[in-house]
Amino acid sequence: MKTKALMFILVVAAGITFSFTGWAQTAGAQSAAEKRALFMRGAELWPVYCNTCHNARPGPEFSPSEWNMIMMHMRTQANLPAQDARAILEYLKGSR
Amino acid sequence: MLELNRRLRFGCSRKMVAAAIWTLPFAIILAGSMARVVSAADSGDSALLIQIKQEIDQLKADREKDRQQIQHLEQQIQAIQKQPAQAPPNQPSATQQATDQQLKALAAKVAAQSSPQSFAQEVNDYLGRYRFTIVGGAAGGFIYDRQSNINTYNLDLEPILLWQISDRMLFEATIEASLPSGGAADYELPVATLQYFLNDYMEVVAGIFDQPFGDWYEDQSPFWVNRFITAPLPYGANALVPGSDIGLQLRGAYQWGAVGQIADYTVWSGNGPGYNQATCTGNTSPSPLPSCSTRALVGDTLVGVNNIRLNTHTPAFGARIRVYPLPVESELGRLEVGASTYDGKWLNGLWLKSWGADFNYFKGNLQTRGEWIQSYRQMPGSIGADNRQGWYVQAGYFLAGVRPPLMPSSWAAILDKFEPLIRYSGVNQRASVLSDISTTPGIGFNGSPAVFAPHAREVALGLDYWFAPSVVWQNEFNFEMPGAGGFYSDTGARVGAVPNDRAFLSQFAIGF
Repeated sequence: MKTKALMFILVVAAGITFSFTGWAQTAGAQSAAEKRALFMRGAELWPVYCNTCHNARPGPEFSPSEWNMIMMHMRTQANLPAQDARAILEYLKGSR
Repeated sequence: MLELNRRLRFGCSRKMVAAAIWTLPFAIILAGSMARVVSAADSGDSALLIQIKQEIDQLKADREKDRQQIQHLEQQIQAIQKQPAQAPPNQPSATQQATDQQLKALAAKVAAQSSPQSFAQEVNDYLGRYRFTIVGGAAGGFIYDRQSNINTYNLDLEPILLWQISDRMLFEATIEASLPSGGAADYELPVATLQYFLNDYMEVVAGIFDQPFGDWYEDQSPFWVNRFITAPLPYGANALVPGSDIGLQLRGAYQWGAVGQIADYTVWSGNGPGYNQATCTGNTSPSPLPSCSTRALVGDTLVGVNNIRLNTHTPAFGARIRVYPLPVESELGRLEVGASTYDGKWLNGLWLKSWGADFNYFKGNLQTRGEWIQSYRQMPGSIGADNRQGWYVQAGYFLAGVRPPLMPSSWAAILDKFEPLIRYSGVNQRASVLSDISTTPGIGFNGSPAVFAPHAREVALGLDYWFAPSVVWQNEFNFEMPGAGGFYSDTGARVGAVPNDRAFLSQFAIGF
C-alpha cells in the first residue's frame, strides 16, 4: 500500500513537472518586441542579480553560445527564476 | 604741292586749334576729376588691390596644380598604354577571372548587410548543435604564518567544464588541480553534475555537488568570488558541515511579488557526512604501527566527500530556502535572507543534525554578509554529544566615488578599484583532536593551528585591488585569537589558553 502511494505521487509529480514549458526552447519563437522587452528587463536585473554574489561580468567577455551555457550554470548555481535568467541572457548576448 | 601741303597743314591746324580751344576746358575738368579718382583709389582701395593680387597668385597656384595633375594623368596614360604588351585586355587570365568572381561574390555579401544576429546564427550553425566550453578560476599567491613559522608560494587551478547537451540539459564538472607540499599535482573532482530543467520552476541535479547549505560552498568559494583569500572559520579547515555530497537535488525559484522579489528552494539527498578518525590513520596493515580500532572522538574533522557510504540506514537529507524581500525598483539595495538544514547519519544510527541562517545585503559600493550555523552530532556509547556553533560576519566597501581632497584626478581611477574588507568569524566546540591539527598551508588556509582550537576566533582584514570584474589582487591579514577552554579528545588533556597567532596572505586570482 505504501509503495503504491509512493508510485502514485511520483507519477503525478512527473506529469505536472513535464507539462510546463522548458528553459530556453521558447526563445526562438519570441517576437522582436518581446525580445526588446526581455533585453530591457535583463539590463535592469544584470547589475543587481550578478553583483549579489560577485562582480557582474559584461556581455563582450563571452560569445553568445558560451553565455547560453554559463547562464544555465548560473541559473542552477544562484537559483535564478527562469524568466529572469532568460532576460539576463538576452541582455548579455545583445550588449556585445 | 607745297600749297596743298600748306593748306592741309595750316587749314587743318586752324580747325584743330579751334577744336582744341573748345575742348581744352573740358579736358582740364576731366583731368581734374581723374586725378581725384586716382587719388581716392590710392588712399581707400589699396586693400582691394591686395585682394586682386592675392587672387592672381591663387590662380597661378591653381594653374600650377592643374598642370601637375595633367602631368600625372599623362604618366598614367603612358603606363596603361604600355600594358597591352604584357597582358591583352581582351584575354584575361584564369587567375584574374577567379579574382573577379570572388570580388563579385564579396560585393554581393557586403550588399546583403549581414546583421550581428545573422552572423552569430551562422557561427552557431557552423559550430553544431551541441556546445562545450571551459570557465573557472586560477589563483597563485604567498602565505606566511607566524606561529608555525611557515612561508610559501602556492598555486591552484579550477577549470569548470560545461557541456550543453540540449536546451534543458547541462553537464558540469569542476576539476581542482593543486600543488601540495613537496609533491606533484593533486587532482580532485569536487563537482560533476548533470542538470535537467524540468520546467521554469524546477530542475534536477544529479552527481557530486557543492553542499547547498548556506551561501559559502556553492556561491562564495571560487577564488575570484570570495572577497577574502581564506574561508571563514565555520567553512574552513575545521568546518561544521561537509563541503560536498553525492546524490540528487531538486531546486528552483519563483517570483512572488515585484521584479526582484523572489524565493528559491533546494532539497537534496546525499551520502551524508563522514569524519576523519586520525588516531588510527596509517595503522592498518602493512603499517609497522600496532593496529587499533577506529574510535569516534568529539572534535573529529569532516572528510571532504563521502563517496561510497558503508554505514547502513538512510542517506542524508537537506533543504534550503532563500527569500529576497526588496524589489529591484525600490533602490533600497539587495537583501537576501536564507535558512538551511542538513541531517544525515554519519555512523550507523548516529545522526549529524545541522541548521543555519544567513543574510546578504549589498547596496552600491557596500556589501555585507553573515551566517550562523549550529550542528549536533550524536556520539556512540557514553560520549557526550559533539555540539558545535560557527558564525561569521563580513563587510566590504569599494572606494569608487570616494574623493579625498587634493587628490589628483589621475589617482581617482586607481582608488576606485580598491576594496577594503573586514571579517569576524568563530567556532565553538567541546574538544579538538590533536592529531587532526594540520599546519600545512594551502589555498584558502593560512596554516595556523589556532583555527583548530575548541574556541577559535579570527579577525581578517583584507585589501583587494580589482584589475577587472574577475581579476583581483588580494591581501589578507589574519589575527587568530582563540579563547581558552575545551580539551583534546584523543589525549584527554585540557586545552587551556591557546596562544594568539598572525598570518599574512597575498594572492592573485582570476576568473575565466
